[in-house]
Amino acid sequence: MLLLAALAMGCQPMALQPLPAINGRLEQAGSSREPALGDRWLAVIVGQGGRERVELLDLERGLPVPLPGLNRADAQPVSVSVAAAGDRLALVRQLEGRTELVLYRRSVASLQLLRIQPEGVPRRVQLRADGRQLAVEVSRQGLWQIDLFQLP
Amino acid sequence: MPAPNAGFGGSNRADPALSGDGRWLASVIEQGGTSRVILQSQPGGALQPLRHLGPRTTPHGSPSLSWNGRYLAVLASAGERRLIAIEDRQRGSLLRLPLPGGSQPERLSLAPDASRLAVQLQQQGRRRVQLFSLRALLEPDRPGGIRELGGGLAP
Repeated sequence: MLLLAALAMGCQPMALQPLPAINGRLEQAGSSREPALGDRWLAVIVGQGGRERVELLDLERGLPVPLPGLNRADAQPVSVSVAAAGDRLALVRQLEGRTELVLYRRSVASLQLLRIQPEGVPRRVQLRADGRQLAVEVSRQGLWQIDLFQLP
Repeated sequence: MPAPNAGFGGSNRADPALSGDGRWLASVIEQGGTSRVILQSQPGGALQPLRHLGPRTTPHGSPSLSWNGRYLAVLASAGERRLIAIEDRQRGSLLRLPLPGGSQPERLSLAPDASRLAVQLQQQGRRRVQLFSLRALLEPDRPGGIRELGGGLAP
């Protein structure tokens, strides 16, 4: 059945090769969702004890790196993305009853709120690999649209 | 700034994915009761054809592009099974990647250089991200369109 389905798609199935060291680290972290890969970085939302936070894993060292000022106990992360170099992260989060889009610069641990115009509610975000542009889903008047932001 | 809608202004549009060089934007359009990935050149938003990711492989979800847009990875369907499909736009081929039994893929992310793939799986009610190497399956797609040559000297 599987082979027939593969042939219907005009290709042969191939095997994925898991990376056990980092997968073991993710297993230990609890639940994990919304993965975003840079060249040697994995940004992910991890949940433990009923709370979720953003984690950035250095895939060459197999360890998370500090993200001072990004995670807040009263914020709920929705979506995260990382630039290829791991220097910038874009985050959609719920905080104090609103949903906001922020850009985090890791070298200076700064968080910048990005205003969405015309107003709308953001959901999933993706940062371009060079960190100079992002695309975000925005809900306006019952319709999901995509906004693009140029970043300095 | 809203992205050019490519004639899909009245449809829900989700899951944006930009290539690293900024020349390509993939997204998922809800139309005709299903979700289908589209690819647009930037700027301008002209639609680009996809050779393999047609209606027979819908519903699509969670597209992801490599640095120069050579590879487009997406959650797709083959029969009733969800799987990961990667269209190589340079070679015009499709790589089809089934997942371990019992797990449902929900989200994916392709590394900019196409060396790795991260997949969010749901298994027994639990969400977890797993990482896979693609080095044995795909040529790298690095900035500037640089491709590694195989062993020996180039002609």
